[in-house]
Amino acid sequence: MVHQHFALVDTFTALENVALGLGRVNLSSLRKKLEKLVEETGLHVPLDVPVENLAVGERQRVEILKVLARDVEILILDEPTSVLTPVETAELFKFLRNLRDQGKAVIFITHKLKEALAVTDRIVVLRRGKVAGEVKTADTTAGELARLMIGVEIEPGHRPVELALEGEPKRAEAGGPKGEAVLAVKALKVRSDTGELAVRDLSFELYPGEILGIAGVEGNGQTELVEAICGLRRVEAGSVELLGRNVTNHPPTELYRLGLGHIPEDRWKYGVILSFTVAENSILGLQRERGFSAAGFLRAWAVRRHAARLVQEFSIQTAGLSAPVKSLSGGNQQKLIVGRELSKDPKVIIAAQPTRGLDIGAAQFIRDLLLRLREEGRAILLVSADLDEVLALSDRVAFMYEGTFTGVARPTELTAETIGLLMGGVKAGSG
Amino acid sequence: MSWIWRGLRPILESVLAGLIGLGVGALIMWAWGYRPWPAYVALFKESFGSGYGLASALANATPLILTALTFAAGARAGLFIIGAEGMMYMGAMAAVALSLFQLPSGFHAFVALFCAAAAGILWGFIPAVLRAYRGVHEVISTIMFNWLSHFLSFYLVANVLVDPIRAEKTLSIVKTSRLPLLIRGTDLSLGIVVAAGLALLFYVFFWHTVAGYEVRAAGANPYAARYGGVSPQRTVLLVFALGGAAAGLAGAVEVMGRPPTYAVYSGLTNLSGFGFDGIGVAMIGRIHPLGIIPAAIFYGGLQAGARLMQMEAGVPFEMVRAVQGVIVLALALPELTRIFKVFFRSIQRKGART
Repeated sequence: MVHQHFALVDTFTALENVALGLGRVNLSSLRKKLEKLVEETGLHVPLDVPVENLAVGERQRVEILKVLARDVEILILDEPTSVLTPVETAELFKFLRNLRDQGKAVIFITHKLKEALAVTDRIVVLRRGKVAGEVKTADTTAGELARLMIGVEIEPGHRPVELALEGEPKRAEAGGPKGEAVLAVKALKVRSDTGELAVRDLSFELYPGEILGIAGVEGNGQTELVEAICGLRRVEAGSVELLGRNVTNHPPTELYRLGLGHIPEDRWKYGVILSFTVAENSILGLQRERGFSAAGFLRAWAVRRHAARLVQEFSIQTAGLSAPVKSLSGGNQQKLIVGRELSKDPKVIIAAQPTRGLDIGAAQFIRDLLLRLREEGRAILLVSADLDEVLALSDRVAFMYEGTFTGVARPTELTAETIGLLMGGVKAGSG
Repeated sequence: MSWIWRGLRPILESVLAGLIGLGVGALIMWAWGYRPWPAYVALFKESFGSGYGLASALANATPLILTALTFAAGARAGLFIIGAEGMMYMGAMAAVALSLFQLPSGFHAFVALFCAAAAGILWGFIPAVLRAYRGVHEVISTIMFNWLSHFLSFYLVANVLVDPIRAEKTLSIVKTSRLPLLIRGTDLSLGIVVAAGLALLFYVFFWHTVAGYEVRAAGANPYAARYGGVSPQRTVLLVFALGGAAAGLAGAVEVMGRPPTYAVYSGLTNLSGFGFDGIGVAMIGRIHPLGIIPAAIFYGGLQAGARLMQMEAGVPFEMVRAVQGVIVLALALPELTRIFKVFFRSIQRKGART
């Protein structure tokens, strides 16, 4: 099995990395074996250079060599191309076909339709942990795969999340975007933790009273995009404008003072401090506001009053304001975060995976809240891996794929096939 | 309610750990043929049973409270500062150096304390900057700075601040700069008030000010703290400064309030160890400023009682030290496991990213 994220010891050479886990092994005989393998497969890798000095494509070849050195019959690759350049990808495919011709079995896990069609003989489509269909690659099309991926229940008129928005005047069905853009992202470039470009030249605008949804398979740059907008990750190039002001690479507290609220994707990382109390968490980011601090001291009663208001308004179930947040359920932690962000009275709300891991009741509470905020004229950027949620809530949906949008459309204009194509990396208009 | 239990738990854990430590210590004494009960009676009679004993327990506790505050301040911000030892030497040197000047009584002591705190802060400045802006780990840098301070102080004691009459020690602190004794005939000086007062100030800072809230946030979850607008660099500098001030004062109170000589001996024999003992005290006190006070008094009491334990129960001094070690280790264990869990998790996280 070759994992999406490499499991290599950076300071070891390729040879040593292969030897690791083989138990007692003679390095020189292993070297001979590897040299033969390299010859046979064309997986050229310098064996004596520390892995940290190798290019990403080379590292992956080391990973594959590691597996092949164990004389495997079945090779499983999990999203192997996500870190490769097109040239490296082509080489990998050539090698995989070779392997197939030698009588080995290869399982290739990908969300990229083009790759699935290019390299495989048979395709099994998985949806929500179940096999949605199995086809011969030669007999299928990208369109068919897209339909299988998305399923039929998304067809217009069969929304699983019912929204009573008939006759809703603010719904931007008829007119285009209203007013001035409150958030404008221009030619944004952001790098991921590993240094690759995660967001590539992305531009979009967000208008008051609208929910712009960002759908797509996770790991296509959504996390980096949100962090960059919210001042938590450095913007490499391009700009972020909030309410007409350039706020590129400005600190988070300044952004929220201007009117940005952020419901973070990873609750336990950015959202709450688990060992802090409910009261302490209720002012995270607000601690320097005049209401909560006086001459450098925390106004304990004001903090508690604030927390008590949030607990009541958002019906947060807690043993008390002095209970540590880790004693709360996920849904109640999320309500606390949402409540705190809304208490900043934001004009623009970035909601990243706002209902992830919540029970149905809490999820519905958050969704209703987002719609209410939209009706109040606030602008909401909704990033979610839950396709049904994005389609049901958004006025416009953008599909993110490898750091760019493959298309932006109204949910009603989309069919299952186009959604699947857009998520699978086929640009609107070209497929 | 469950959260009251959460507040009481650390205290109960510490008490339980202390009992286990006493039990294991008793087992050790018993195994080597000594009678544990009279030994413990002697130990606690000496340290907490008499006014004089209590006074020496408190006197012993004075510098330990301060160095423990240094470690606790760092730990609250997620740092592992073990530089109290070096900062403390610098504070002591500053206090002695101030005796070269003539100032009015009382005011002189105040200025000396102030300069000692400043010396401690200054000594922590370079490790703090290295940590904040270059990511140099504070464990490494503060250990190195401890040795720098150690040898610099050696030099100062032997060459610059040396007593011209008695070469084995520095100049004595002049009368105007001494901390008055609280009880005549004991070692207990006003230093205990300075130490306990600073612990109280630390408590107010960490739990009742905005800056303290931010430091604790940065220690508990650095990501969420950044999201909440807390600058990681400023947190590091602030915590090092607080810790440096406390450790500098520890050195100062130890020379300014310790009769009969009011001086530093060559080899730093009357100073060395307080910085490291402070780490243990901080852990016994669950790195809480108010927990540190009783922890330091207990620790100081063990030291004060050791003498009588040896004399009355006939337990050799080495055995007394071993038993003390077991008790302290048991007391520190609950906090130790927690800190190491956090510490190693952060290392793993760093490792996983590369």
